[in-house]
Amino acid sequence: MSRSGEGGTVVDPSERSSRTARISRDTFRQELRDARHQSAASRKILAALGRAVANPGDVLDTVLEEAAQLCGAQVAQLYLLEGDVFRLSRVSGEIPEEYRKHLEDHPVVRNRSSAVGRAAEDMYTHQIPDVLNDPEYGREDLQQRAGFRTMLATPMILQDELVGVLSMWRTEVKRFDARERELLEDFAVQGAIALRQRDLMLELDSRGKELASKVEQLEALREVGEAVGSSLDLDEVLDRIVSNAVRLTGTDGGSIMEYDESGDSFHVRAASGSSSDLLEQLRAITIDRESTLVGRTALERKPLEVADLAKEDKLDPHLDILFRDGWRSVLAVPLLRGDKMVGVLVIRRRTVGTFPPEVSELLQGFATQSVLAIVNARLFRELQTKTMELEIASRHKSEFLASMSHELRTPLNAVIGFSEVLLDRMFGEINERQDEYLHDIRNSGRHLLELLNEILDLSKVEAGQMVLEPSTFGVSSVVESTLAMVRERATRHAITVTVEIADDIDTIEADVLQFKKVVLNLLSNAVKFTPDGGRVSVRAYREGTDLVVTVVDTGIGVSPEDQERIFESFQQGRRGAPKEEGTGLGLTLSRRIVELWGGRMWLESTPGSGSTFGFSVPGLPEQEDDVASPERDKLPVVVLVDDDRASLDLLSAYLDGSGTRVLRARDGIVALEQIRKVPPVAVVLDIKLPRLDGWQVLAELKADPATAAIPVVIASVVDDRPRGLALGADEYLLKPIRRDDLVDALRRVGALGGSS
Amino acid sequence: MTPRRILVVEDNPLNLKLIRAVLQFAGYDVIEAQSGEEGLDVAQQDPPDLVLMDLQLPGIDGTETLRRLRQGSLRRDVPVVAVTAFAMAEDRERAALAGFDGYVEKPISVRDLPGQIEAFLTGASEATGESPRASEAAGRNPRGSV
Repeated sequence: MSRSGEGGTVVDPSERSSRTARISRDTFRQELRDARHQSAASRKILAALGRAVANPGDVLDTVLEEAAQLCGAQVAQLYLLEGDVFRLSRVSGEIPEEYRKHLEDHPVVRNRSSAVGRAAEDMYTHQIPDVLNDPEYGREDLQQRAGFRTMLATPMILQDELVGVLSMWRTEVKRFDARERELLEDFAVQGAIALRQRDLMLELDSRGKELASKVEQLEALREVGEAVGSSLDLDEVLDRIVSNAVRLTGTDGGSIMEYDESGDSFHVRAASGSSSDLLEQLRAITIDRESTLVGRTALERKPLEVADLAKEDKLDPHLDILFRDGWRSVLAVPLLRGDKMVGVLVIRRRTVGTFPPEVSELLQGFATQSVLAIVNARLFRELQTKTMELEIASRHKSEFLASMSHELRTPLNAVIGFSEVLLDRMFGEINERQDEYLHDIRNSGRHLLELLNEILDLSKVEAGQMVLEPSTFGVSSVVESTLAMVRERATRHAITVTVEIADDIDTIEADVLQFKKVVLNLLSNAVKFTPDGGRVSVRAYREGTDLVVTVVDTGIGVSPEDQERIFESFQQGRRGAPKEEGTGLGLTLSRRIVELWGGRMWLESTPGSGSTFGFSVPGLPEQEDDVASPERDKLPVVVLVDDDRASLDLLSAYLDGSGTRVLRARDGIVALEQIRKVPPVAVVLDIKLPRLDGWQVLAELKADPATAAIPVVIASVVDDRPRGLALGADEYLLKPIRRDDLVDALRRVGALGGSS
Repeated sequence: MTPRRILVVEDNPLNLKLIRAVLQFAGYDVIEAQSGEEGLDVAQQDPPDLVLMDLQLPGIDGTETLRRLRQGSLRRDVPVVAVTAFAMAEDRERAALAGFDGYVEKPISVRDLPGQIEAFLTGASEATGESPRASEAAGRNPRGSV
């Protein structure tokens, strides 16, 4: 902007040289002084802008003040755009109160009638040298009240948008010169920035406040949510909900009224900001659904409020109590769960007034949490009741079974016993038909007794009350004695029964009674379902430390679809046996017993050509070597330690033909025993082992001078080579292991020769 | 030889009746009591040669009845045999711990009972006061004296 303006006080430097030195000096001094003032003003404004973080209004005040002072104006004003009109926002200098008031009622509009209006309309600086001598000027109303004459106004523009107008006046007719005009324009820019900053600050502040209150609300809701989730003490949770609701809505008290379906009424469940006296009164009343605020809130399913209890014609009992206790306004929010009415959340104030929508909204959040809490607690209560009922039912079942055992067995024993008394002719001869019927009575009695015992056993297994009593017994003799129990029937039906027990089977550690039961069940089934003249063969052999018993028959077999079903209760398959022949529980019970023992039971069958029922149970003593032979005894020994039989089989197979003899161990204790007995050329050691794990075995071996030199190859899924090597292992193989891995490792430790 | 007298203490009338039938048929003299207290009275009035006693009795149970019998008039060499529930290991242990001379298992076997009783009686007389081990006595000679 050129300084060679209308005022003429500012002189172009090129002209200056042609004037007298004095004038030139004066002008120069004047300019210098102005420049100093201006820069001081700018500094002040900048300083104020710096402070503006604290208060942007300061900047605007500084701008106006400096503008008025530097430009020799009586008054400087800041007008801000509000809708379509400009309103006075800040003033520097004295203005009549009357003027201010009038201006408030009659704000400046964007037209030619005022300097401010023109500046706004043209987005350009306008000067009215004398408002009384301007044909277009139209705000004499203002002029008369403030007495100004010369008016200068400049728009405040931010990002191409008009935000306000800065104006100055002089009460005398004296034009503002170009410098002053420019100064005002500069100030307008700074003012606009300050305005912008102020707006941002205000926005930030309100956002911050909003944020803070949101954070507080969220925090409270989270806290409540946590309480809902973690605590099943409903009263505690609801207390927390109410107190948070009251705190966050800035109210004075509140309560939760729980809906009682059976009484179709509400009862106070939790309260905050309520005296014990009030609480007692609230507890004493029943709040019905029809005629109360709480009830109506529930019915209408929306928040209801009473802004002034004193102005209500008639108060329901609940509100009456509140009013007497000094409460004046109440807001009630329904607690709904879907269509179901759970209760009502009430907050109250001791002051009169409506509740803002935010409060009601906030309260709905609490309502949701309250519903969850109440529903959770109800579910928990139900669960507790159910659990208790279940416990009682289970106890009843146990008691029933115990009494069944006693009450049913005793008469059944009498039935069997007296039948036998008569059958044995203790009291005289009986005829053939009587004999036959007595047999029927006795056999039916025995069948019932057997059924009873099996039901009892099965329920014991299912209740986890079946206790196995292990002892060591000879497999062969027990199988033979069991066989004796079915031999009579087999002979009667010309069924050949053979028994084959492997040589390496001697004793087993198991529950002999249960073992007998299982073998007997398989045997008697086989005999029962094999046609006359058929064959039943029993085999017992070793699989590691497991005993496998199979019972093969030449019966009609079991169809594939029945093969699994047959192990279920009361399923005899379609094997064509007369119903009364079995209880239908035997196989179920047998399999459960075997499983309880850590074994398994299976069936292989081809319909038409017979079935093989088999079971395997652990408990055979460790086998030291497969076959003792002089040549084998001379071979170097490798001890394989692994709890998994399949792994042992695989590792053994890898060493087939390697010129070593393999000894196996399936737990740490047995491994140590074996290694000490027959010092091996190497130990292949798993880590996860029963009784004593691989780490411990390794440590013991290395701690004992007698075994410390034996190379150890760890073969495990446990990936901890450093630990293995630190404990003294020579090689560390990670499962799965290939044959070459094992052979190479054993070669490296010197356990195997160069070729294998 | 006069028939040996067996005191049967059993609260269930049907069981009692069955045992009575079997033992009478086997030639024993049977006296009865339906409770421990009654058993004590009967044993006092009419000293038996053997007592067969259910473990579960109303009032004082079998174990307590045994204790009182031993404290009372019963001769030391008179065997007292418990009747225990089938396959109840704890009953057998309880009987052994309580000092019974042996046990027979319920359900009693009509065919085996006389033999079992006879074994206890002879065991008792042979060992002159020393009770035979229950496990040896029970089940021996299944149809012995019938």
